[in-house]
Amino acid sequence: MSAIELDTVSLRYVDAAADALDGISLDIESGAVTWLHGAPGAGCSTLLLALGGYAPRFTGGALRGRIRMLGADPQTEDGRAALRGRVAYVTAVPALQLSGIAATVWEEIAFAPANLGWPIETIRTSVDTVLDRLGIRGLSTRNPLELSGGELQRVVVAAVAVLEPSVWLLDEPATALDAGGRARLFDVMISEARRGAAVVVASEDADALGPVADRLIVLQHGRVVLDGRPAELLSGDAVWAAGAAGTAYADIARRAAGLVASPRLAPPYPLDLALAVTRWS
Amino acid sequence: MTAGTAALAFTLPAPSGPLVLYAGVVLLVLLAGAARAARTAALLSLTIWGFLWLLHVVLPGGRGPEAALAQGARIGAIATASVYLLHTFDPSAFLDAFAARGWPFAPAYFMVATMQAAPRLRARASGILEAQRARGLRVGRSPLARIRAIVPLTLPLLLGTIAEVDDRALALESRGLGGRRSSRRTPLAPSPFRSIDEALCWGTALAVAAALAVRLA
Repeated sequence: MSAIELDTVSLRYVDAAADALDGISLDIESGAVTWLHGAPGAGCSTLLLALGGYAPRFTGGALRGRIRMLGADPQTEDGRAALRGRVAYVTAVPALQLSGIAATVWEEIAFAPANLGWPIETIRTSVDTVLDRLGIRGLSTRNPLELSGGELQRVVVAAVAVLEPSVWLLDEPATALDAGGRARLFDVMISEARRGAAVVVASEDADALGPVADRLIVLQHGRVVLDGRPAELLSGDAVWAAGAAGTAYADIARRAAGLVASPRLAPPYPLDLALAVTRWS
Repeated sequence: MTAGTAALAFTLPAPSGPLVLYAGVVLLVLLAGAARAARTAALLSLTIWGFLWLLHVVLPGGRGPEAALAQGARIGAIATASVYLLHTFDPSAFLDAFAARGWPFAPAYFMVATMQAAPRLRARASGILEAQRARGLRVGRSPLARIRAIVPLTLPLLLGTIAEVDDRALALESRGLGGRRSSRRTPLAPSPFRSIDEALCWGTALAVAAALAVRLA
C-alpha cells in the first residue's frame, strides 16, 4: 500500500536559478525502507522537507504538484493536523531536535506523547518500552544536554519512535553515530518497516544503507534518475554516472578496472568484502 | 511571587514599606530552607548598596539615608526573590502545573525554553571562541583587541542561532507541539503546587492591589 504519493512535485527556493525538486512523481510503500541517495544538492533533503510539509513553509520558495501522505496533504493545515504524531522527522544534528525543556531523557521521550494528550499510564508504558528497545534504559535519568552526540541521537530517535509513527523521514540520521549506534539505528529502521511503517531515509552512506534498504531512489538535480533494488543499482555504473556514490568495494573494483584489464572486474561490482574476495581470488 | 515582589517594592510607601518587604522576603526564603539564595542576592546587591549610600549620603546633593535605605531595600527584595526563583525553578514541574490547569502550553514552553537556552548559548559561544582562536583570533591582550574580537565571536553565534530556529521548529512540530488544533497536554507528574503556594500567590496579588489602591487614593 502506498503511504506517500507524489505527483509531478517541483519546488524552487527563493532566488534559486533552478528547481530543487523537478517534476518528481513517486509512490512510496508502507512496510519498506526507501533510501534516497544523491550527490550533495541533488534534492534528497528537500524532498524529505516537502514530504513532511516543512518546505516551502519553513524554507521559503514555491511548491507545485501534489503530495499525499497517509491520505492527507501535508502542505495544508488540515493535512498536517490529520498527520499530527503520525510522521517522525529526524535530522543529522540531534541537539537541534531536543525539546529544550526536559531535565531527563525520560521526560524528553515523554514530551511528544504528552503534547498529544496521551493518558499518563500509556505514556509511562510506551516510554519504558522504547527505552528498552533502543538500549538506552541506563540513560533515562540523565540530562539530555550532558549526553554524547551518539547517545543523543539515540534519544532523539526514541523520542519519535515512542509515537509508533506510520511514516519515518530521516535525513542523514547516522552521521553522529558510532558503528554500534549505527547498527542499532538500522535495526530500528528495519523493525519499523516490518511493523508496517514507511521508512524514508536520505543518506550518502552507500556502505551502510545498501544492505538495509528495500528500495533505492537516486536523485540528480532534483529529478529521479534511478529507482530500483539497492544491490542491483549499486553493483552497476549507473549510480556513479548519476553523481551518487556506491559502496567502497564497488568503488575499488571500478578503479581497479581502469588499471587492470580483467573481465572479473567489470560490473556487477562486489558490494561487500565476502563478494569481493570471491570475485578477485 | 517574584513579579509581585517587584510590584510591591515600588508601590509600598518608602522607606518603611520596602524595608519591611525585604525583611519579609528574606524571612520567607529562610523558612523555605534557601539561605544560600538570600546570601547570593545580598552579595549581588552589595555593590549597588554601596553606590546608593555614596550617592545619597556621602556625596553632596543626595536625598539622604532614607532614600538610600528605601532604594537598597527594593533592590534587595527583588534580587532575593529572583535568585530564589532561579535556585528553585523546576521547568518540568512548571510546565506540568500549566498543563494540569489546562492553560495554553505555548507561552509556558516559550518562557522555559528561553531560560534553558542560556547554558546552550554559553557552550556554543565558548566553542566559537575556541574555533576562532584556532584560526588565529587574538583576544584578551588589550581592550582594543577585545573590542575587535566582538564581531568574529558574536556574528557566528547570532547567525548560527538564527539558522537553527527552523530546524528546531520543525523538530518540535513533528513531536506534537504547535499547530492550530493542539491537544491538551498531559502533565507528566502531579503538580507540586500546594495550597500554601496558592495562598501566597493570591496574598501577594491582593497586597499589590491594596498597595496600588492606597498609593492612587
